[in-house]
Amino acid sequence: MKNKSARVFICCLWSVLSVVAATAQLPAGFKSLWNGKNLKGWHLSRSSHQGTTADFKLENGILVAGQNPFGQGGVLLTDKEYKDFEFYLEVKIDSFTNGGIFLRSNEGGAAYQIELALPGGCGDLIGERIGISVPGRAATRDLVWKKEDWNSFRIRMTGDVPNISVWINDRLMYEVRQTKNDFIAQSTSGKIGLQCHWTSLYSTAAQSELMPLDSWRPGAVQRFRNIGIKKL
Amino acid sequence: MNNGLERAKRRKNLFYERMKFRKLFIIGLNLIIAFAICGQQAISNTIGMEFVQVPAGEFVMGKFEPTVSRMVAWGSNEPVNEGVYQEGLKLARKDALPGFKVIISMPFFIGKYEVTQAQWRQVMGFNPSYFQQAKVSDSADLHPVENVNWKTVSRFIKKLNKLEKGKAHYRLPTEREWEYAARAGKTDDISWAEIQATAVIAMKSTSEVGEKKPNAWGLFDMLGNVWEWVNDFYNEKIFADAIPSNSGKQHVLKGGPFYGDVKNATYMTHAGGPGSGYDAGFRLIKEDTANEK
Repeated sequence: MKNKSARVFICCLWSVLSVVAATAQLPAGFKSLWNGKNLKGWHLSRSSHQGTTADFKLENGILVAGQNPFGQGGVLLTDKEYKDFEFYLEVKIDSFTNGGIFLRSNEGGAAYQIELALPGGCGDLIGERIGISVPGRAATRDLVWKKEDWNSFRIRMTGDVPNISVWINDRLMYEVRQTKNDFIAQSTSGKIGLQCHWTSLYSTAAQSELMPLDSWRPGAVQRFRNIGIKKL
Repeated sequence: MNNGLERAKRRKNLFYERMKFRKLFIIGLNLIIAFAICGQQAISNTIGMEFVQVPAGEFVMGKFEPTVSRMVAWGSNEPVNEGVYQEGLKLARKDALPGFKVIISMPFFIGKYEVTQAQWRQVMGFNPSYFQQAKVSDSADLHPVENVNWKTVSRFIKKLNKLEKGKAHYRLPTEREWEYAARAGKTDDISWAEIQATAVIAMKSTSEVGEKKPNAWGLFDMLGNVWEWVNDFYNEKIFADAIPSNSGKQHVLKGGPFYGDVKNATYMTHAGGPGSGYDAGFRLIKEDTANEK
């Protein structure tokens, strides 16, 4: 009986600590975008070319992204759409993974994207299924990047013609003003997304050069915590 | 002798005339048969929707043999770390799926093209699409209708069936029928080169239907342009189940959108709603009124 009570107490404590771990570190003014307990408020895109069955799960209050089944990625999207905002999150990413933070994404995962790829252009601004007028390059990232550790991203996006600023570990990487709204159907709002890249095709019948395994090594993961948003 | 010769000539002439008649008869018969076959293979309805008959047959659905790249990067000849490759092979074998056989026991008529904006407007009296005339440089009437969800498509079908009452019955294809028609006899997945030739992908907007090469059965835009709603519920899995789900939060989308990629514009892709509005349309199956329920 004592053992059972102790187990219940430990479970409760663990849940509370998990929630605290997930929410305590947000900068002032940001509203948490997840509760640290489940994926309420988020959903997996069912129509992304990255895949529709990626494994986004919670481990000890941390959101962990991996492929599922082998070679199939996906995009986890917020249920809500945002227009002008600041987005904050902390990431710890394995080497040889290629993810991304999607901004103003549509349901199919077409979006402005901040790369989360190592090795590669981690922190760069590119387009996902859209060409963008002005890319951004996180040229000074290595000055502040903590290897194999948690790193924070703060992203500010405003305007019908998007203006995007990115800070990594509180250092401004760039402020990029697009020359036009490159988004499909001229959308000026969309979902926030977290991407896990694909590496496998359904069959060799594709007769194509295959996506290198180093785009997401077997078993590799990206981790996220302290995810929050400030509407502007 | 002369009379006998004349009789022989007459008999010969009669023979040739009969032969000529027979030839004409055979040619005529062949033409009638050919016309009948053509009539069976491609038909249209009162609002100009064209349908192509696909034959009965079978295929394997949901067979998954994940590819594993040897190379360290795109275009590189350098192999990836051997341990990483072996781990990839192991996981690929573990997650592979054999698929299941689907038998299409009867031929059926399916839309040669995606339903267009003009056809939707003719039936419903309005056009819900985003890519209307002000947004495109060619004829928006010939672009696929989009910004339609499964429920609004059901309303369109109901209204079309009322308009065509007594002539035909229309419905969405099942996912199996759709994939069978899209494969057009192919047993494995499609090559990227063939996707590029047949599918409207990597674009900023929809295109007029029928601009790319059709598949082997004469169907256009099965891949790309707009996602196509099918009748089945979505099962939240990579592929359909051998026994289709009879419930779910969303319905299945097939074929990929105009902004899609060669990765998912294949007939194997099993996606689900809601889509993004401007990227989802449909095509129909036409049945004899005898099948009307």
